[in-house]
Amino acid sequence: MNDHLSQLEPIDVTLQVNGTPVDVSVPAHRTLLDALRDDAGFKGSKKCCADGECGACSVFLDGTLVNSCLVLAVETEGSDVTTIEGLSVDGLSDLQQEFLKAGAVQCGVCIPGQVVAAEDLLRTNPHATATEIRDAMSGNLCRCAGYERIVAAIQAAAETRVTIS
Amino acid sequence: MSGHGKPDDQITLGSAVGESVLRYGGADRVSGAQQYLSDLEFPDTAHVAFTTIESGCAQINSIDTSAAEQLPGIVAIVSADDLPNAKRFGISHQDRPLLATDTVNFHGEPVVAVVAESTEIARLAADLIEVDFTPLPGVYDLDSALADDARLVQEPDVRPGDPLNHSNVLETAEYAWGDVAADEPSAHVIVEDTYNFPMVNHFTIEPGGVIARPYEETGVEVHSPIQHPFLLQRILASIHDLPLNKVRVVAPDPGGGFGGKQTPRYEPLMAHLAMRTQRTCRLVLSLEENFQLMRRSGCRIHARTGFAADGSIVFHQMDVDFHIGAYADVAPRIMAKGSYVGAGPYRIPSVTVDARAVLTNTTPSCAFRGFGAPQVGWATESQIDAGARALGMDGLEIRRKNLVDAGEAFIRGDHEATADGHWHESLEKAAELLEWDTPKPPNRGRGIAVGIKPGATSGLSQSLVRLLYDGSAIVYAGTSDMGQGARTLWKQILSDELGVALEQITIISGDTESVPFDLQTSASRSTVFMGGAVLMACEDIRRRVLELYAEVTDVDPDTLDHRPGTIMTPAGTVPLVEAAQTALGKLRGEFVGQGTNRLRGKSGHPLGGDAAFYEFNATAIEVEVDPDTGEVLLVRHATVGDVGKELNPIQVRSQDEGAAIMGLGHSLMEQVMLDDNGCIRNLGALDYRIPTYNDVAVDMLSASIENEDGPGPYGCKGISEGALLCTAGAVGAAVADAIGVPIRDLPLTAERIWKAMQARDSATADN
Amino acid sequence: MVQYRRPDTLSEALSVLERAGDNGRVLVGGTDLLIGVRRRPLSPLVLVDVKGATDLPPAIEVHDDGVRVGPTATMSALVATDEVQRWFPALVAAANVVGSVAIRNRATLVGNICNASPACDTAPALLVHDATVTIRSTAGERQVSIDEFFLGPGQTACGPAELVTAIDLPRPPAGHRSAFQRLTRRRGVDLATVSAAAGLTADGLATIALGAVAPTPVKAVAPGPIDATDPAAVRELAEQLTEIATPISDVRASEEYRRAMTTVLTERAITAAADAATPGA
Repeated sequence: MNDHLSQLEPIDVTLQVNGTPVDVSVPAHRTLLDALRDDAGFKGSKKCCADGECGACSVFLDGTLVNSCLVLAVETEGSDVTTIEGLSVDGLSDLQQEFLKAGAVQCGVCIPGQVVAAEDLLRTNPHATATEIRDAMSGNLCRCAGYERIVAAIQAAAETRVTIS
Repeated sequence: MSGHGKPDDQITLGSAVGESVLRYGGADRVSGAQQYLSDLEFPDTAHVAFTTIESGCAQINSIDTSAAEQLPGIVAIVSADDLPNAKRFGISHQDRPLLATDTVNFHGEPVVAVVAESTEIARLAADLIEVDFTPLPGVYDLDSALADDARLVQEPDVRPGDPLNHSNVLETAEYAWGDVAADEPSAHVIVEDTYNFPMVNHFTIEPGGVIARPYEETGVEVHSPIQHPFLLQRILASIHDLPLNKVRVVAPDPGGGFGGKQTPRYEPLMAHLAMRTQRTCRLVLSLEENFQLMRRSGCRIHARTGFAADGSIVFHQMDVDFHIGAYADVAPRIMAKGSYVGAGPYRIPSVTVDARAVLTNTTPSCAFRGFGAPQVGWATESQIDAGARALGMDGLEIRRKNLVDAGEAFIRGDHEATADGHWHESLEKAAELLEWDTPKPPNRGRGIAVGIKPGATSGLSQSLVRLLYDGSAIVYAGTSDMGQGARTLWKQILSDELGVALEQITIISGDTESVPFDLQTSASRSTVFMGGAVLMACEDIRRRVLELYAEVTDVDPDTLDHRPGTIMTPAGTVPLVEAAQTALGKLRGEFVGQGTNRLRGKSGHPLGGDAAFYEFNATAIEVEVDPDTGEVLLVRHATVGDVGKELNPIQVRSQDEGAAIMGLGHSLMEQVMLDDNGCIRNLGALDYRIPTYNDVAVDMLSASIENEDGPGPYGCKGISEGALLCTAGAVGAAVADAIGVPIRDLPLTAERIWKAMQARDSATADN
Repeated sequence: MVQYRRPDTLSEALSVLERAGDNGRVLVGGTDLLIGVRRRPLSPLVLVDVKGATDLPPAIEVHDDGVRVGPTATMSALVATDEVQRWFPALVAAANVVGSVAIRNRATLVGNICNASPACDTAPALLVHDATVTIRSTAGERQVSIDEFFLGPGQTACGPAELVTAIDLPRPPAGHRSAFQRLTRRRGVDLATVSAAAGLTADGLATIALGAVAPTPVKAVAPGPIDATDPAAVRELAEQLTEIATPISDVRASEEYRRAMTTVLTERAITAAADAATPGA
């Protein structure tokens, strides 16, 4: 019986979340998503499929877009994680505002992941076409299916950013 | 119409309705601050996990919990044996047990509930519990459920006194008018076929869950992302023998509902566990568990339709079997309501619809956007196109011929229903958007279809509005905001009706302790019903302000009047807020208005009453089919709804596109697949596919017809299901047009289309 | 009973894997592995995270004779490498459809083949690109051709106590072209129903490899050169080469459909390879 319990023995992990050091103590199998939500209190990242299919848990891990449900918390020792909360420290970002204006937000559970993935897209491909946006975003499911509205929001934010820079 | 949302401060006071006001609660949703069920935290929480078995139908022989009991941190382990006096529950039929009792009746039905100090311990314990079971010959499809020797999904004593309780038919519905036998000879062409609509999952991005807590000594407080908090309150009170005031239901905004979160499932059990352990008990579902909680009813329709030489429909006959699952939930009503509009919005002299709700050992089906209408509509729309093909007409022409005009009956007989809109306008607009008459490149096909769905038929919605002294306001409205944006509309209505700035309005919902009764959030009813209640509450406030203003200023109330946002006096208009302040005086205070909007049902009506409105939609689709693989590319998808009035254009568009894309799911790719033991083969996101960004049409077009002819505020109608009603019909017709042969079973997977092309080619070769 | 180990060196990693025996699993991207862990919470796994080993070969090493892909090279890194884009178009096309952007940022080429799904997207491309796999254990290092790497669903030539340290992709000879085709249930992110890669030498000799139509990815070489601009010749060759397919029916497709699509995709892959620009020097 105690065999089963050994998996629950916690391991200490220190990482940075949105620029702040965070210490968590987690069993080996706990995902970064669960650790962020349940141990570190960052509940903005959402859990739906837990298989890396829906993108609701998207975060930046050392600057790279990942599905936090497919990363173990113990793998992130010393890493720098940015969650949706980290994208709106000084109020809503341009992208978040465009999501609202475009009518892209319905129930909202997929939206944090959509915003993170869209932010990654705008950073890596500032001039993305509608087709490229659809391709890059197709790992983020929306069942209310605001897809068309989200594409419009990303295009609007991209236009503004390109104009400004 | 504005195509882009506007911040509150860019809207002129008094003209919020009709503008794309940004959604209420939007900022929290884009920043991750919105608290859904799984984001709620309570002190001293215990965690719940279920033990299930890998079988869709089995006799439970014994349960060994010994290994699980030895784990540290176990609070309770509960199976049906521990609940000897537990009642079954349900909406129309009290057939669902708290935990599987003697038998497991569908894959994933919980057998044991473990309450533990952590989610990990609970899961571990649930997995260590061994259930010894004997597989039974379950019925997993319509044919096996309807066979003479079929095993009964429900023992007859679950439905005592029911004449059908020795069969797997739970309920039936029959609609008929005219005389098919008499009209049949005038048919020039008769088409007859069988159509299948798959079981599909809601796939809400929030899988769901329940948190239950002891409340006021003997009571219980249940947090659930439920669409109908008051229904849940009623059922919890009834099953646990509690007065309503001892049952508090708190409903955080559902993370997607689509009908899937209307009815109680695990809440009664969770309430029991909380009362039994006197702990806060938390259950957060996985997506796999969500698949075992809700689905759309599958459906098989046999249809026979006669057409005159000019394309007029002469008669239409349907036998409709809904494949509803192991417990009733609201499936009998889905069967009744979906088949009520089974003959579509057409002028048909003779119709018979015979429908059955058939129990099977599968996930209990429940409400899902369209409420039975998409299933039956798939067959009827396909039959109309079959008639058109036989007569050498096109899909637009035959619908122009048969679609009813405003005010004309499309359901005849004792409970006639007439068109409450100018539906031809939607049809023409959809055809125009698709450029229906332009030439088509090779491998392309076009289809057009229409759909109708009856709105709510009865029920009460109440709202309270408090106009505070400083001109801000609080609205209490029980509608669940699951994405449709109801609260945004209440804000718009209130702003215009009371002359209160949008940013000074707060909406309270989702708590039976503080919010007055609302029957439910379903059937696209809320804008009409609750919107009307909010409007009435505002008028009530204006009357009260007027009365007190008259008294305080010592004028004859008969010389005063009120209009949205203002009190009219002989000396001129006074803004309502100013009049309210004058009326309240130095000691201040507030005005409370009440709105009560009740639609009374009609006894004897098969739906319990006339629909308050009909949702009508026309969808036109152009596809390109890969002739070698059968893959479908959606070239253009145009959806047009008859909405009455767009209270918030961007929200209407968002709902319309969303419904249209959801419709593509069951049309092209979605289906719950079972193995021989009734277990779901594609459980979870890896092998149950829903549309992604890349599965939407290259051109996705959405438009509305606005004639301000609805029963809701400002002439609006409900709008959030329309664009899904006839997606399948339009896609099906487009694919048939592209490949030259129709396909009658959904979804239209590439493989199915390829097989149809193979059959077509071998038939050609044979000739 | 999941345990986590993060060795600092390759040799330590190999020792940990050896001790773990059948329960050892190498963790790099985790995009397949963690899906399995969630479904089998009681399995006694030892996850050996080799990302902390400081002496691993570099993720991607380009040299004149080809490209060496190390165990930490992600799909995203792979497709962003110029030489990979120029020399191995079939592999780039395949790597670009493995999951979503977020998955490709994490999933590795080595992990993809070690998971050994019959539907593995990159395997057909590696087969037509004649990759060689380097496998290490405490006993030493050995190399196997990719042709001999896949043994069955989830089974490879890399044993429980072993680690794939490199995939070598030889630079194709002048005029060699390649392409990849895939059929899925939807247009967005999906697992392959059938996949096919084709390589074509300058003198018209085709090699094809198939995914999701046999217990392992499979490969066939044309008996002689063909004119790949002749549709009938391509069709005939595709029909002949795809006889190696032994598809089954599952939730994604039936055997019959898979078999037919194998030929269609093979034909398209050969044609696409023929149409592809000759890779630059």
